[in-house]
Amino acid sequence: MTATPVRTPRRLRRGTRAGEIARRALGAVLLALVGVVLTAAPASAHVVPSSVLQLDIRADVVDGDLLLPAADLATASGLTLVDADGAGAALDTANADAVADYLTDHIAVTSDAGAWTVDVGDVTATTTEQYGTGTFPAVTADLVLTPPAGADVHAFDLDYDAVVHQVITADVYVILRSDDTGATDPADLPASLGAVAVDTVTGTIPTLHVDLTGNSPTSTTAGFLGMLSLGISHIAEGTDHQLFLLTLLLPAPLLASAGRWRGTVPGRRAVRRITTTTAAFTVGHSVTLALGALGLPVPGQAVEAAIAVSILVAAAHAVRPVFPGREPLVAGLFGLVHGLAFAGTLTELDLSGGDLVRSLFGFNIGIELMQLAVVALVLPPLVVLARTPFYGRLRVGAAVLTGIAAGGWLLDRLGVATPLAGAADRLGPVSPWLAGMLWVLALGTVLHRGTPRSHVAFLGWRAGRVDGLVVPVDPGASAGRR
Amino acid sequence: MLLSLGLVGCGTDDSGDTASTSSPATTSSSSSSAASSGDVAALAEAFAATLADDQLEALNQDYTFANASNWSNFPNALLTGGSGGFGGGGSGAPGGALPSGALPSGGAPGGGGAGSTSSTGRVGLQTDSLTDAQWTALEDLLRAVTGSAANEGFDEIMQHLSADDYLADNGGGDDYGRGNYFIAFLGEPSDSGTWELQFGGHHLAVANTYVDGVLGGATPSFRGIEPLTTVTEDGVTVQPEQQEQAAFQALLASLSSDQLATAQLSQTFGDILLGPGNDWAFPTTSEGVAGSELTDDQKALLLAAIDTYVDDVDDADAATILAGYESELDDTYVSFSGNSSVSEVGDYVRIDGPSVWIEFSLQNGIVLQGAHPHAVWRDKKTDYAGLTS
Repeated sequence: MTATPVRTPRRLRRGTRAGEIARRALGAVLLALVGVVLTAAPASAHVVPSSVLQLDIRADVVDGDLLLPAADLATASGLTLVDADGAGAALDTANADAVADYLTDHIAVTSDAGAWTVDVGDVTATTTEQYGTGTFPAVTADLVLTPPAGADVHAFDLDYDAVVHQVITADVYVILRSDDTGATDPADLPASLGAVAVDTVTGTIPTLHVDLTGNSPTSTTAGFLGMLSLGISHIAEGTDHQLFLLTLLLPAPLLASAGRWRGTVPGRRAVRRITTTTAAFTVGHSVTLALGALGLPVPGQAVEAAIAVSILVAAAHAVRPVFPGREPLVAGLFGLVHGLAFAGTLTELDLSGGDLVRSLFGFNIGIELMQLAVVALVLPPLVVLARTPFYGRLRVGAAVLTGIAAGGWLLDRLGVATPLAGAADRLGPVSPWLAGMLWVLALGTVLHRGTPRSHVAFLGWRAGRVDGLVVPVDPGASAGRR
Repeated sequence: MLLSLGLVGCGTDDSGDTASTSSPATTSSSSSSAASSGDVAALAEAFAATLADDQLEALNQDYTFANASNWSNFPNALLTGGSGGFGGGGSGAPGGALPSGALPSGGAPGGGGAGSTSSTGRVGLQTDSLTDAQWTALEDLLRAVTGSAANEGFDEIMQHLSADDYLADNGGGDDYGRGNYFIAFLGEPSDSGTWELQFGGHHLAVANTYVDGVLGGATPSFRGIEPLTTVTEDGVTVQPEQQEQAAFQALLASLSSDQLATAQLSQTFGDILLGPGNDWAFPTTSEGVAGSELTDDQKALLLAAIDTYVDDVDDADAATILAGYESELDDTYVSFSGNSSVSEVGDYVRIDGPSVWIEFSLQNGIVLQGAHPHAVWRDKKTDYAGLTS
């Protein structure tokens, strides 16, 4: 029996990089942990640690947060960074400068615009842990990668061979941690940009190409659209913001009289109330969103609690008129509070300069668009239903439920845990179905009544031609206008 | 040798019943000579016949490059990020929480090969489900495909299993031990067509590919070991890779200072270069001192070092393979990094010929203190019997 080479390789794959990457199955796990959560690994496993470069894309520069295993860095640089036992040695200024010089020599960035400047700072000795490595001494450094003036930060070539030029089995994971420009969907972060490792076939270290321009026409547009969608999702997912406005608008088609909601107001008047209330909310939150994003300190927890209070107030008002005719004022005032919460979201992104203005604008437009969509979706059926005998129960029922949810949020945000807050948070995904039910109910009402006037009222409302066509439903209601 | 010592689980009732009905395999375990190719398929079938349906389902895998290249030097728990100590903080974050884009395939053109060794762990039947009778049938199969020399081949594998039991008992915990190895048939064992016998676990990868009943490739063959120093576990003396280390030491010790200077690599090695997943990635340029520069005595030492890996294969096939490597000895290069004593962490030796590729790397201890080696034997022509994708 013989060992017969039955087949010569059909094709010797050049794909070392693919293999190199696949070889490090652990690297994939490492990536899951870096920037997400660095989980403690057991003492019994000591896999060889990797260098990790985390990049933050800013408007004009790319910031890097670099971590290198100290032992590998010592081997490659010839500097004394670990003691005889392999423990990390403290870094004096001279050594820190020497590390910075070494890194500067081994990191180069270029793009179509030319060579970038690479600044290395804040070289620090630390100990850390990666998946399966156990604790190991490491050196961290901050990088600032600056393209030629005005050049795009989204596409560049990273020629990186620190450590790897000497420790041929080492590898460097390059991770996109954040992107202020919005070119990357925040949901995709952190994202892997690839790995730097020796190509074993050629013995060279391939350049890592980074290209985040993606399908977007320009980064500016992409950034704006990214923020637009962030604004939209903020409202879509922010059940509390939706609930406040909708609850406040619940009695908009109704007439306040003697401390109760009685009868309805003409359709055009209802539309005007809805418009002014919504606009006032918009103005209010735009002001504080801008102020907060520009640096006004946002007391997060107080703001969140105040938002819950605002919903409670709106709910109370929906049951019995508390501030009839002053809905726009209340909407504007509480809008200020809601805007601070929006600002908190933007502040977390740590924007500045032109980025901030663009983001602010995009984010706010996104909020308005989504808000308009919600109002346009929910209000027409409400206006129709307001003319039915059961609107009273619907309104009060919705207001009470909203009040309970708001109460839950308030307690939760004041530190009292209740199951209510969690339940209320889960209302978000249900809300489209609720809106759909309202539409079905409203259409059913219109068809059931089957009177031409109602049809006209319904259709005419949308056309803004229904003044005077509305019949007070509540027999006891006064027909007078406020 | 009581191979079931330290076994955790002993399979299902079903498998027990099935095992008791299998007889031919369990009575033919005395042979120490190389099996004929027909024997391998027959012994593979005999082992399979001892298994329950769910075990068979795990055992039989597709003959694909993805499965063939899915071996590793790591304990399986470290690959899956799942059970035991490797999972980390209990948040469930590892593995499952990994964004699908996390493997850096986007940054690597043509990176389609990536991912086969991702966090799914090894394929095949885990040995913790085997009954005593099933273990016996598995050993009969392994004995037939491995060499008979002491501390090589079958003996070496058995010592590897004992070494992992030792790790389990000395700080490694449940993620180590002979119950954490995997046996897989990639394709159907047969004397016609191609199939691979894959057996591996921590520090061990056996990959014998049979083509029409003939051994078409015995690599990639990974052998690491911890502890490297001799220990005794359940009465077994554990020293499976000392022979390899000694062979490298003797080879480098025989080189003149000029030859050593030529053989020394300037770069540093934290591990072997062509480990798991790094397939068909042999350097185009061989480094070190060429076999043609060596004396006959030195060539004999070189061949002896190669033989400590080739001898892991059944004796007849090993002789054939070694003869092939011997004929290429003049074009076979020896290189090293670190100390030529091949004793300290960072010490590294490579044998790089027209066909043969062997790397030996000493690195820090994992469970225990002290250096431990990783080593791989690859063949530039017959790795995976030539399967490249």
